Amino acid sequence: MRRLVPVPAERAITLDFEGVPVPAQEGEPVAVSLLAAGHSVLARSVKYHRPRGAFCLSAGCSQCLMRVDGTPNLFSCRVPARGGMRLQRQNSYPSAKVDVFSAIDWLFPSGLDHHAMFAGVPVADRVMAKVARHLAGLGLLPDEVAPTRAQPEFLTTEVAIAGGGAAGFAAAEALGAAGVPFVLLEREEALGGRWRLGAPEAGTPATLLLPQGSGTVRLLTTVLGLFTGAQGRFLAAVSSGPEGPRLMLVRSRRFLLALGGHAPLLPFEDNDLPGIFSGRAVSDLVRRRGVLVGDAPAVVGHGPELPALVTLLEEAGARPALVLDTSSSPAKGAMAGKLLKAHGRTWVQALSVELVRGRKKVACDAVVLSVPPAPAYEVARHAGARVVFHPELGVFVVEADAEGRTRAEGVFVAGNALGGTTAARAAESGRRAAAALIREVRP
Amino acid sequence: MSKALVCPCEDVTVDDVEGAIAKGFRDVESIKRYTGFGTGICQGKSCLTTVAQLLARTPGVSPEAVLPFTPRPPLQPTELSVLASLDVDETEAPLGGVPLSAGPAPDALRSKEPIPARADVVIIGGGVMGLALAHNLAKRGCTDVVVLEKGYLCAGASGRNGGGVRMQWGTEANIELAKRSVELMKQFAGEMGINIWLRQGGYLFLAKSAAIAERLERNAQLHNRHGVRTEILAPDAARDLVPELTLKNVLLAAYHPEDGVIFPWPFMWGYAQAAEKRGVRVETFTEVTGLVTSSGLVREVQTDRGTISAKTVVLAAGAWSPKVAELAGVELPNQPHRHEILSTEPLKPFLGPLVSVLDTGLYFSQSMRGEIVGGMGDPREPVALEQGSTLRFLARFGRALTEQLPILGKVKVLRQWAGCYDVTPDNNPILGRTPGLENLLQMSGFVGHGFMMAPAVAERMAEWMVSGQDDELFNRFNLSRFSGGTLEREDMIIG
Repeated sequence: MRRLVPVPAERAITLDFEGVPVPAQEGEPVAVSLLAAGHSVLARSVKYHRPRGAFCLSAGCSQCLMRVDGTPNLFSCRVPARGGMRLQRQNSYPSAKVDVFSAIDWLFPSGLDHHAMFAGVPVADRVMAKVARHLAGLGLLPDEVAPTRAQPEFLTTEVAIAGGGAAGFAAAEALGAAGVPFVLLEREEALGGRWRLGAPEAGTPATLLLPQGSGTVRLLTTVLGLFTGAQGRFLAAVSSGPEGPRLMLVRSRRFLLALGGHAPLLPFEDNDLPGIFSGRAVSDLVRRRGVLVGDAPAVVGHGPELPALVTLLEEAGARPALVLDTSSSPAKGAMAGKLLKAHGRTWVQALSVELVRGRKKVACDAVVLSVPPAPAYEVARHAGARVVFHPELGVFVVEADAEGRTRAEGVFVAGNALGGTTAARAAESGRRAAAALIREVRP
Repeated sequence: MSKALVCPCEDVTVDDVEGAIAKGFRDVESIKRYTGFGTGICQGKSCLTTVAQLLARTPGVSPEAVLPFTPRPPLQPTELSVLASLDVDETEAPLGGVPLSAGPAPDALRSKEPIPARADVVIIGGGVMGLALAHNLAKRGCTDVVVLEKGYLCAGASGRNGGGVRMQWGTEANIELAKRSVELMKQFAGEMGINIWLRQGGYLFLAKSAAIAERLERNAQLHNRHGVRTEILAPDAARDLVPELTLKNVLLAAYHPEDGVIFPWPFMWGYAQAAEKRGVRVETFTEVTGLVTSSGLVREVQTDRGTISAKTVVLAAGAWSPKVAELAGVELPNQPHRHEILSTEPLKPFLGPLVSVLDTGLYFSQSMRGEIVGGMGDPREPVALEQGSTLRFLARFGRALTEQLPILGKVKVLRQWAGCYDVTPDNNPILGRTPGLENLLQMSGFVGHGFMMAPAVAERMAEWMVSGQDDELFNRFNLSRFSGGTLEREDMIIG
């Protein structure tokens, strides 16, 4: 893990990591600062106290949870660094680096069945209940009472768009051009999604800014759900700003849900070791943060993002130790095979894979899992859309017609919700949904 | 040590998931509950796909049967203080709730095996009542029993409650039932081979009005007469138990240290497995569609998988009981009321008792896993079989909880859900024979506390059914009480 771009002097700050000073760039996620400074273990897992680092860098897993400035269980991948910030690892004794409770992992090599363990054994079950209670839980109570939060913000619009990636952006562009008012909620600090943060793809628009006056865009705003209430349906979201988090309610009769997807963890032995990252995390690190996960990473996965990511890593100076395609039709330049096991103690050092010729152990300094994201179906399901398992893709997708219309009235989906695809296709699905929405608003 | 993780939040492995599938859990909701996957901070974002793939490759499981578990708001962990910032119009009724229905469960979830053509006892409802009764009947030699459950085990209120167990009640009958239930819960793991994680941290009731204070004091005397050592505490003494509590406007508290919390789901699996071992059939995803009656008896139970002729039919469908009873032309006075609940991020243990403010219906406890689990009744909640979640609840509960325990302001909500209380006019259950339909037995109307009463009630009911000997419980709580006479009202209902 190294910085490709040195931290500019005017943005250089220092974080307090359990008493150890860590150099950082102001505003970058603290997980990135720690990784770039060579700290591999950010957390210990809840049950077996296994060492954990960052995996998805998008608040979609639990591997980077830390206590920051006295608040427990924060996604360190989403906490912007500020000078003097206090970072602490949780759930370990005496320290996360040397955690005596990691013995649990060794004592129970085939896992701990909490249903049957000591069930009904006199005395032992009560002792176990006491021990289990004290081992359970992650963070300690916050240090401080929360300040009074800002009053919620209420917006009403013709079309509420959740997510400003390729699909949401393209839809907003089309709605704006047609003069249809919309409110677009985007979690990141800029629109564009993987056009901006993913492995570069052909067809990326020259500008990721929407024309002036075409609807309302709220950045740094995370969608929580689609609710119903006395005044109809609304998206609930939380925006983050200098005054702290603020609740936002966006009322509408029409919704376009383009929330992308989540990075799935692929099942192989010791897949939770620090140093194993999702492909989207790795491209984000290179493109937005100027950080390279490894000089000799093993890149594994399938789908259109895999070769693009290899190119991005190579351009950033990496020499992949292995490019493995786990699908039945491997991409050009990739070997065909299966993931077996990651090796290493507190950072991945090698990867065992099953190739056509047999098992092979490849030394590497990071593992990158690049597979199509698992569609974020949750909010569509809140609204009453049907979600089905797609046997070929192996993921849950939202059932919708060619225009992205779901069975829930006025609720459309676009992009990854329909199944992982290229950014260009995601954008196309956004435009199709926008065309249908325009017809509905202006019949 | 080498492990292949599916759910790193809760340290659930591929072996755990495959083990659950091998045990017979063939739907994602059940696998989630049995293994714990998807219940952590990420709420399934990084793990659900792997579980779906593992299930989909299981022989006999069709892709249509692979459905995601119900996604619960919020999509991202959200601080209680932020949710509390939303003002709620208390004069309005809560409307709707999410997730909205996505249509009926697919046929693929139903067993392809034929349903038995006849049975001595058909129990409608595979919640804790029905399953505990099936187990107790089978234990007494009555094994020709079929339990019909329209969803998965844990789908109804039995799988949606906060796991509270208390002996602090307002009537003798309920105190005695609760005492026996706690005794049986202590033996549960030994008998069934599955842990239920009973933690006796006590129940701490807070009173903010003179009327509630008086009620707590009066009931404490009643408890003491029944050997339940409830103490009345001054606010300062309550603070000794939970130092983080704000006790503004609290007049007094009632505390019984042997009350506590349990983990509800293993009861269903434990009772079901034990009953099945003795020959009971537990049929999930099987809905009752009709009851055929003649000459004062229920003759047949019709389901979406076929018809069963039955000697005795037990109605234990919780809040759905009135709907099912209607199929036999029986009118029950029960009314369904949604109660919403939520769970936070897991914290290290700090909260001993379950705390409840009887004036507002607020309650919260810390689960064995460390989450704060709590809810609050909504006085404007309309009568409906509604199990959706609202932002209004997050706001009301967030405000009430952070007023009572301000240090939780930055603690984050992971998920919210709801279940239905099965409310009767006197807050007491409906048990025993149905006037006019001798072989239709009622076992419903537990007003949100059926879970903790089930072990004792099921034991008494099975004994009564098998022995044929009179038991005053089934007269006291008979449906006929509503047609005349005075009702003995239970006044220790939360919410």
